[in-house]
Parts: sequence; structure tokens; C-alpha cells
Amino acid sequence: MNIVVLVKQVPDTEAQRQLNPDDNTVDRAAVDPVINYIDEFAIEEGLLLKEAHGGEVTILTVGPERATESIRKALSMGADKAIHVTDEALHGSDAIQTAKVIAKALGTIEWDVAVAGSEATDSRSAILPALLAEALGVAQLTQARKVTVDGSTVTIERVTDTGYESVQGSTPAVISVVEKINDPRYPSFKGIMAAKSKPVTTLALSDLGIDAGEAGLANAWTQVVSFENAPPRAAGQTVKDEGNGGGQIADYLASKKLI
Amino acid sequence: MNFTETEEQQALRKAVADLGSRYGFEYTRSKVKSGEHTDELWHEAGKLGFLGVNLPEEHGGGGGGMYELALVLEELSAAGCSQLMMVVSPAICGTVIGRYGTDEQKQRWLPGIADGSIVMAFGITEPDAGSNSHNITTTARRDGTDWLLTGRKIYVSGVDRADAVLIVGRAADEHSRQGRLKPVLFAMPTDSPGFEFRPIEMDIATTDKQFLLFLDDVRLPADALIGQEDAAIAQLFAGLNPERIMAAALSIGIGRYALDKAVAYAKERVVWGAPIGSHQGLAHPLAQVKIELEQAKLMMQKAATLYDLGDDMRAGEAANMAKYAAAETAVRSVDQAVQTLGGTGFASEYGLGALLAVARVGRVAPVSREMILNFVAQFSLGLPKSY
Ligand SMILES: Cc1cc2nc3c(=O)[nH]c(=O)nc-3n(C[C@H](O)[C@H](O)[C@H](O)COP(=O)(O)OP(=O)(O)OC[C@H]3O[C@@H](n4cnc5c(N)ncnc54)[C@H](O)[C@@H]3O)c2cc1C
Ligand SMILES: Cc1cc2nc3c(=O)[nH]c(=O)nc-3n(C[C@H](O)[C@H](O)[C@H](O)COP(=O)(O)OP(=O)(O)OC[C@H]3O[C@@H](n4cnc5c(N)ncnc54)[C@H](O)[C@@H]3O)c2cc1C
Repeated sequence: MNIVVLVKQVPDTEAQRQLNPDDNTVDRAAVDPVINYIDEFAIEEGLLLKEAHGGEVTILTVGPERATESIRKALSMGADKAIHVTDEALHGSDAIQTAKVIAKALGTIEWDVAVAGSEATDSRSAILPALLAEALGVAQLTQARKVTVDGSTVTIERVTDTGYESVQGSTPAVISVVEKINDPRYPSFKGIMAAKSKPVTTLALSDLGIDAGEAGLANAWTQVVSFENAPPRAAGQTVKDEGNGGGQIADYLASKKLI
Repeated sequence: MNFTETEEQQALRKAVADLGSRYGFEYTRSKVKSGEHTDELWHEAGKLGFLGVNLPEEHGGGGGGMYELALVLEELSAAGCSQLMMVVSPAICGTVIGRYGTDEQKQRWLPGIADGSIVMAFGITEPDAGSNSHNITTTARRDGTDWLLTGRKIYVSGVDRADAVLIVGRAADEHSRQGRLKPVLFAMPTDSPGFEFRPIEMDIATTDKQFLLFLDDVRLPADALIGQEDAAIAQLFAGLNPERIMAAALSIGIGRYALDKAVAYAKERVVWGAPIGSHQGLAHPLAQVKIELEQAKLMMQKAATLYDLGDDMRAGEAANMAKYAAAETAVRSVDQAVQTLGGTGFASEYGLGALLAVARVGRVAPVSREMILNFVAQFSLGLPKSY
């Protein structure tokens, strides 16, 4: 089975993240980049699928040159090779444009399943896997907490607010996984040493037959008009317990319609 | 000279730090309390190839060097889960067997040492031979093709979890009994008849205890002898540079752990309307520790680099100096961290009080600071020998 894992590089979630006031895009220089947290679960799921069914795991990343660091980490975890789509013209692309680029990049290889994370920690639209499946006209199996593949049939447990739904589709399929679906492995020393010699294909938009006029901020379907920092957390309300503390808390929760 | 680690070294550092932080100090503390070993961490690190990064690839190791092995121990130690047996099993025993063992011996021991499934302890210290190894009396007698070992060892770490102990003894020939030690090394399985060990009660909160060993005519086959019977002391020294580099790594990790705790606390704790870290009386000593840790780390990295280049002579001087600097810094770092936390510095939750004794061990073992100062005075400065 040929497995592709979609890996996005994002600014470190633990750092103070910012938008760039010049063009309202994510400021990627200000903060150390890391692999999108949930994508580590996607990588692990890809590796588990390979271990169960054979085949190869290819990492696919659309992102700036620096994203090679994340690609290398994914390779050190055990993926076989990678495709890195990078192009100045991609700067500021939105989810729809990114999905189209990924769809084209998938067209350059043979693949059975494309495994994504359920959402990226920076823009958090959680929409890319759906857009991608739509653009490709293939099955869309999102928010999986469990994935089973039997021949060309893929079955997932899709997380819902109340439990899960069993959803089935046939390959080729786009799957997105939620965190905690598995326990992502650490790169082993052998994996780390081998990562550098694994093939990474770098593609520009022209290699994918995409016109620069379709990509980037100027041609995005969505636009960030303005932004402001989240307000600092307001001081909490202190309840003094003079025998009626419980009642006061209940009143407060009721006023917020929480009980 | 290059002060930027390779991409692989950086990735290894990150992976080990991630692993260490998942276990963390709480894990170590609970294991110390229950008297257990840190088996889960040890085996996971072993499976990932972290314990055997320095050992040859054809024998299950990672094919890296002491630089990488020291980096692994430094990061685990900085995460609050230092692994004393890494100093012994892959660094001392793995190196000696890798350099002087026969192919069969390498095949028998190294893959297990590399993946952590085999732990090998190292027994050199005796009741009357600590700093002065020339006084070793553990004796190996030939009996047919076998060897019979008799003697006592003390303060040997981790014997209860070890599959074998690399015993340093001397051959039973009267001429070698006096004067300089001509060591013979044996890989002695811990289940050998005639071998017994007893824990020594120690005031150190670690998961690897120290033991008294009793060897009474322990019969070992010919192939338990590692290296040559009459080889020079070089074969023993081969293991000692790695030992010192690793001892430095362990100390530096402890120093980093304590400094991190102190700095985090100094940023949060408010006593007079501002975080206590704003008082120079606390900030400067912490800054000093930071500088000294950096010094010790650079010295350790130099020693490891020289060792990996095969320059045993210069690595020896550098490794001793690094071990000295690292132990001194670790002691100061823990001491200053305890001071920074005030009464909280002694709360078990932070582990700093217990670390006072652990850090202090670095000044005595595996080689005392006085013996390092003797070495530097004589070897580096050319001063007369004082003993
Ligand atoms: C305000 C704003 C500014 C932005 N500025 C920039 C910018 O300057 N430069 C820039 O490059 N992007 C920028 N983006 C991000 C870009 O729009 C996203 O890469 C794209 O929209 C995907 O959407 P998402 O991140 O919400 O992914 P989600 O739908 O939340 O992600 C789900 C999964 O899709 C996969 N995935 C998502 N993106 C990629 C990718 N690029 N490569 C491989 N797999 C992927 C991952 O597996 C991920 O877990 C910006 C987004 C916003 C909201
Ligand atoms: C936690 C721990 C773990 C250990 N693990 C092991 C192990 O796994 N295997 C093993 O074989 N051993 C182990 N040891 C033993 C350790 O290596 C010895 O304790 C150390 O080498 C010092 O020897 P000693 O205790 O006999 O001290 P001694 O040699 O008796 O020295 C006592 C003091 O005298 C000083 N001194 C001695 N000679 C001189 C001199 N010429 N000039 C100035 N001062 C001098 C020393 O520096 C020291 O301060 C361990 C010890 C500890 C504490």
C-alpha cells in the first residue's frame, strides 16, 4: 500500500505566535517551526499502516524552505521519502489554494491513502482534508480515532460529540486523524542517521502545472482584513465564603448559563 | 573547530530530551521511593538505540561516538532521569569489549548492551583499593583452561540488575603482585557459582544501588577473559576515558536540571512585590552557574571529540578536566538552586534536597577530585609526584 502523510510545519504552539502586520499572514520567522502536533499522530498512523500492509510512506509538505527540518524529522521517525512543494508564490495561500496544490502534488505519484491531521495548530480551520478529498473526487474519511484497511476498503471510527460513527470508503481515500489515535514514536538513533540519505523531491508550482496567478495571498479566496491580539485575561471574580459561598458560585454559573 | 552540532546530533538531542521529559523527575522519584529500577525508561531508550549510540553498527550499536553517548546521558539527566548505568554498561564495558574483545565476545555482549537488554556492571574498587588501583588484590588463578577468581569489591553500582560484572583483577603471578597493577579483565556472569553480592546502605537517592561483592573461587571459562592476560594497563584505561566523559555528562545534566528549576522558581516567586529573580543576590549566582555549566559542557565536548578522533592521550587529560569541572559545577548548581527555592528547596516534590547528595557523588566517584588534581599537577604541569 502506498501511503502519503500530509505534514504541515507550524510555528511552535508553546511560543507567542503572531501575524505579520505587513500582509496579515502568519509570521513564520518570529517563532521556531515545528511539525504540526496532530500530524505526528498522522505520521505514526501512516507507519502503522505500512507495518500492517507493507508499502511505502511518503511525506508531503507544502511550505517554505525551512520546512525541510520538519520533513527530516518525519523521515527520522521512519517514513521512506518525501515531497516538498515550495515556492515563493505560495506565500499567503489559503486553505483552498493549499488543497489544490496538494491535490496536484498527489497527482505526481501512486498512492492509496493520504493521511492528514485533523487540524493545524496555527490556522485551525480543520478543513483541508475535506477540501482535498473534494478536489480529488475521492472518499473523505475525517476525524478518525481508529483506522482499519482491508484490501481497498478503509473503515474509520469518526469522532462525534457523543461517540463515534463507523464510516467506510474505498481507496484512494483521504483520512484525517485526531490526536491520541495512537502513540507517536520517537525517532530512533538509526532513523535519525538514515534521514539525511532518504530522497526528498522538491517541487515548485511550475513543476505541478500551477500558474503563479492562482496561488498566493493576492489570489486567495479568503482574506484577513484585520486582526488584534486577544485581550489579556481579566481578573477573576473572588467569592468570599461567609457561609453562602456555594450559593454564590451557583448563582454565578447560572448567570453564565452554565448550569 | 565547529561549535554547531550536526543536524543528526541536534535531532538526537531533541528526541532524547522529548523522551526524558515524558518520564521526568517524578518518574525517577517514584522509582527511588519504591526501590525499583527505571526499567521502562531504560528499555525504551535501548530500543530506540540511544543506549548504544557509541557501539559499532555490526554489533547492534549506532556507529556513533562518545560525543553522541554523552549527549544522550546529558539530556536524560537534565530531564531529571539520569542513568548511572549508562556510564558503566555501554561506556566502560561496551568500549573495553568493543576494543579488546574477541569477535565471539563482541557478538555475545555488545548487541544486548546496545539495546539495553544486557546490563554490565563494572567492578574495580576494593575495600583497600579505591583511589589506589595498584592495591587491587582480586586474583585470577588458572585451573586447566578455566580461571578461578577470588576477591572482594565494594561500591559497585547496579549489580542487582546486571547480567554480568566486568571484574578488574590481577593474575596470580607473584611478580605482578607487588608494585604496579597489571590488570586482567573478566566478564563474570552474575549467576556464577561462588559469586555473591550484598547491597550497601547509601544516603543517595538513586535507583542504582551500590554493592559489596564476594568472589570465592568463581570459576570462569577461558573466554571470560577480555583482552590479553599480560596486556598493559592500556586496556583498562580504554574504558576510563569514556567513564570520565560520561561522569561529566551526568553531572552537567544534573546541573542543568537544578538550574532550570531554580530559574523557573525565581521568575514566579514574589516576596517583596517583585519576582525574587530580580534581586541580584539570586540572579548573579544563577548566571554564574550558567556560565560554569557552559564551561564544563565545552570541556566535555572537547574530551569526547578528541576521544572519537582516536587521540587517547589528549582525550585523557581533557576527560579528567571535564569531569572535575562538571562535578564542581553540578554541586554549585544544586546548592544554589536549593538556596533559590528557600524552604521549598527541601520539599521532596522538587527533588533538589535529595540531589545535593547525588551531585556530591561526582566529586568522589568514579575518580575523586583530588586524584584528578594529582593527575593535572603531574601530567599537565610537570610537578613532582606527591604520593
Ligand atoms: C490568517 C492566515 C494567514 C496565513 N498565512 C500564511 C502564510 O503566510 N504562509 C503560508 O504558507 N500559509 C499561511 N496560512 C496557512 C495556510 O492557509 C494553510 O496552510 C492552509 O490553509 C491549510 O489550512 P489549515 O492550516 O487550517 O489546515 P487544517 O485544515 O487545519 O489542517 C488539517 C491537516 O491538513 C494537512 N495540511 C494542512 N496544511 C498543509 C500543508 N501546507 N502541507 C501539507 N499538509 C497540510 C495537515 O495534515 C493538517 O493536520 C495562513 C492562514 C491563515 C488563517
Ligand atoms: C555512588 C557511587 C557509585 C560507585 N560505583 C562504582 C562502580 O560501579 N564500580 C566501582 O568499581 N566503584 C564504584 N564506586 C567507587 C568509587 O569509584 C570510589 O569510591 C572512588 O574511586 C574513591 O575511592 P575510595 O572510596 O576508596 O576512596 P579512597 O581512595 O579511600 O580516598 C579517600 C579520600 O582520600 C583522598 N585521597 C586518596 N589519595 C590521595 C592523594 N594521593 N592525594 C590527595 N588525596 C587523596 C581521596 O580523594 C578521597 O577524598 C562508586 C562510588 C560511589 C559513591
